Amino acid sequence: MTDQASPDTLRSELRSWLAANKPQGWRDITDHKAFADSQKQWFLKLVEAGYAIPHWPKEWPGGGRSLAEQKVIYEEMAAADTPRLLLSFISTYHAYATLHECANDEQKTRYLPGILKGETWCQGFSEPGAGSDLAAIKCKAERDSRPDGDVYVVNGQKIWSTMAQYADMCLLLVRTSSEGAKQAGITYLLMDMKSPGVTVRPIEQIQGDEEFAEIFLDNVEVPVSQRVGEEGAGWAVAQATLASERGLTLLELSNRMRGALSRVAELIREHGHAEDRGILRDFGALVTQVDAASALADRFLENRIAGIERVGDASIVKNAYSRALRAYSLLGVRLGGMAEQYRAPITFGDLNTGNWMADFMNSYAWTIAGGSEEVQRNIIAERMLGMPREPKGWVL
Amino acid sequence: MIELSELRDSAAKAFPAGSILPNREESWQLASEMGWLLVDLPEDLGGLGLGRAAGAAIIQELGKVLCTAPLVPALLALRGIAGAPDFDGKAQLVERICGGEYVPLNMLPGSVRAAPDGSLSGLVPGLFEADMASTVLVGSDDGYRLIPLDAEGVTLVERPLWDESRRIFDLVLAGVPASAATLVADGEAAAALHDEIARSAMLYVAADSLGGAAATFDLTVEYLKMRKQFDRPLAMFQALKHRCADLKIALTVAEALFETRAAAADTASVVELGAMKGHATDTFRLIVEDAIQLHGGIGLTQEYPVHHYMKRAMLNLQLCGSLDRLQEVTGRAALAAYA
Ligand SMILES: Cc1cc2nc3c(=O)[nH]c(=O)nc-3n(C[C@H](O)[C@H](O)[C@H](O)COP(=O)(O)OP(=O)(O)OC[C@H]3O[C@@H](n4cnc5c(N)ncnc54)[C@H](O)[C@@H]3O)c2cc1C
Repeated sequence: MTDQASPDTLRSELRSWLAANKPQGWRDITDHKAFADSQKQWFLKLVEAGYAIPHWPKEWPGGGRSLAEQKVIYEEMAAADTPRLLLSFISTYHAYATLHECANDEQKTRYLPGILKGETWCQGFSEPGAGSDLAAIKCKAERDSRPDGDVYVVNGQKIWSTMAQYADMCLLLVRTSSEGAKQAGITYLLMDMKSPGVTVRPIEQIQGDEEFAEIFLDNVEVPVSQRVGEEGAGWAVAQATLASERGLTLLELSNRMRGALSRVAELIREHGHAEDRGILRDFGALVTQVDAASALADRFLENRIAGIERVGDASIVKNAYSRALRAYSLLGVRLGGMAEQYRAPITFGDLNTGNWMADFMNSYAWTIAGGSEEVQRNIIAERMLGMPREPKGWVL
Repeated sequence: MIELSELRDSAAKAFPAGSILPNREESWQLASEMGWLLVDLPEDLGGLGLGRAAGAAIIQELGKVLCTAPLVPALLALRGIAGAPDFDGKAQLVERICGGEYVPLNMLPGSVRAAPDGSLSGLVPGLFEADMASTVLVGSDDGYRLIPLDAEGVTLVERPLWDESRRIFDLVLAGVPASAATLVADGEAAAALHDEIARSAMLYVAADSLGGAAATFDLTVEYLKMRKQFDRPLAMFQALKHRCADLKIALTVAEALFETRAAAADTASVVELGAMKGHATDTFRLIVEDAIQLHGGIGLTQEYPVHHYMKRAMLNLQLCGSLDRLQEVTGRAALAAYA
């Protein structure tokens, strides 16, 4: 185990481990199910080696890594061209943060170890009528008694749920009351995806992938013991889930993007632009933008480890990353020219694949998901800069 | 060890927010009394040996009030003098500077030629506040030289700037006798010195820009909260809120890159620091552009302060290499690195 290793030792250790263990041929997988299987195997291998959850605390095998060590891991993973952990993304960030911060001991003992055994989670927050205005959710849960304990009977629909078709469990937001403020009637449940009445339908995404799905809930019974926090207190719990997504995950992603700047360099050379000053400038500006977004993600994590975080910080990190990602893929599309307009097989599990049109389309995931760019701007302006909210009370 | 935050605090106390464009001579006096000329000077030469990052932290604070004291050219000259191989009178000169004498380095590339008899001719632009100096350190393609301003053949010509927070001079050399100038470094020594000075210069101009950018941004948000139109504060309009949020993002990102590169400034390459400087100055440009626009008519007046920031931002873009140049160099270096 590598708990106290210095970053340099860790780096060389990781390099030799990756040389022997990194997944081969994952970029050539064209079937989504096969991709999900390969993701699971890769995750389990990383867990065993102690590299899967560097951001968890040190009670967990492979957790408790310093910022410097986490950076080394992400950099080396990107440099060795290993796939991003998309399937376990929600489990190791969102589910972990929610359970760790808000769940009771019984729930923690029951679910946290499962994540490291490869149990995967999805996030059932958004609904067709509740996107940016998440508190407007309608998915309804009514309490009922059963011989072996009370349950919530859930009816409704969730949408845009990433990898829900492969998930074992779901972080589910439901409405238990329509009285008072809309936030006050929301309850947070942990739902088994194999429960009777759960139907999942994958949605084909802009680039031809099936990364997210719809979840239909028809009289699904969720035991009351599976509730996180009190009934009606789900909104606060949901904030813990969302906070883990904005900011923390971006240390990994921005380091991966940094590593993938080599793809732009290749493109510049292949197309004979190595002496084109205009293109060199654009590349220089991009390199600096990516470096700056990474520097910001580093600083965010440092501050978080030191216990300093202001409202809005994570929103800034997210928008800085998503803008850099868009700029990165757009430069690729531009330099690639017509060649990028011919459809080419896509790579699952990476945002910087070098299939520039696919990467460009996929970059929108980061300006929309997890609270859109515009919603982050509202947060920054209103809650960080103290600019006044619009008057309430407008009716349609 | 003095923390950077302590230096920042004392700089902010000496030059409080809101009192912009403090008097030049008094500011210089204060800067010297505060010991800010000593921060980057090695201890064996009588300095504090805190390094460039310390200088940058102070300059960032002074940038907020558009400080008129020419600390940047002074610190650059001192780094050059301190870093040069020993020359006659070096220790005495360092001592005089530490005591408050202003010796600037030119902030724009100069061209100097020695005639066969050793006498010097040429043009050296970019000497800030040179009317406060009696000696200047001239960096040119031909090395580094100390030149007393009262020497034969030396003329200073002021070049009025749009940025009135600074005064800038051309130094015209017309057959200055060889004996008047002191050659501080040439050849390889000059090239090495150039890199050392360039690291500091990139960092300081970026620091000045980010200080100015932060102040301009705060001024703008405060104005939007106060100014009412259509029966509400302008700050309530989402179109304007989103612009402010974007500026806040741009500023925070630029500050993060600045702090990261400042912490590694002794080992980072000049190219990396230059990329950071380009980014910081361009962020200042972005913020002043929106600041003027979001102020409406008052933004175009001499009376309201925002124009001073815009003028400094545009000048900073030109110092130490233009944005286009720095981006090109960065692109080239990255292309080579990914070979
Ligand atoms: C790739 C991807 C993965 C996702 N994964 C998940 C998941 O796993 N689980 C889950 O629950 N959800 C998931 N989502 C859903 C995501 O959270 C929502 O798409 C997002 O919150 C936006 O909601 P919406 O799509 O309904 O757009 P809308 O809210 O309808 O927004 C449409 C447009 O209006 C803008 N807008 C909305 N409100 C405002 C406002 N107040 N001010 C200014 N502009 C505004 C938005 O920014 C956007 O540009 C995912 C989305 C994507 C794209």
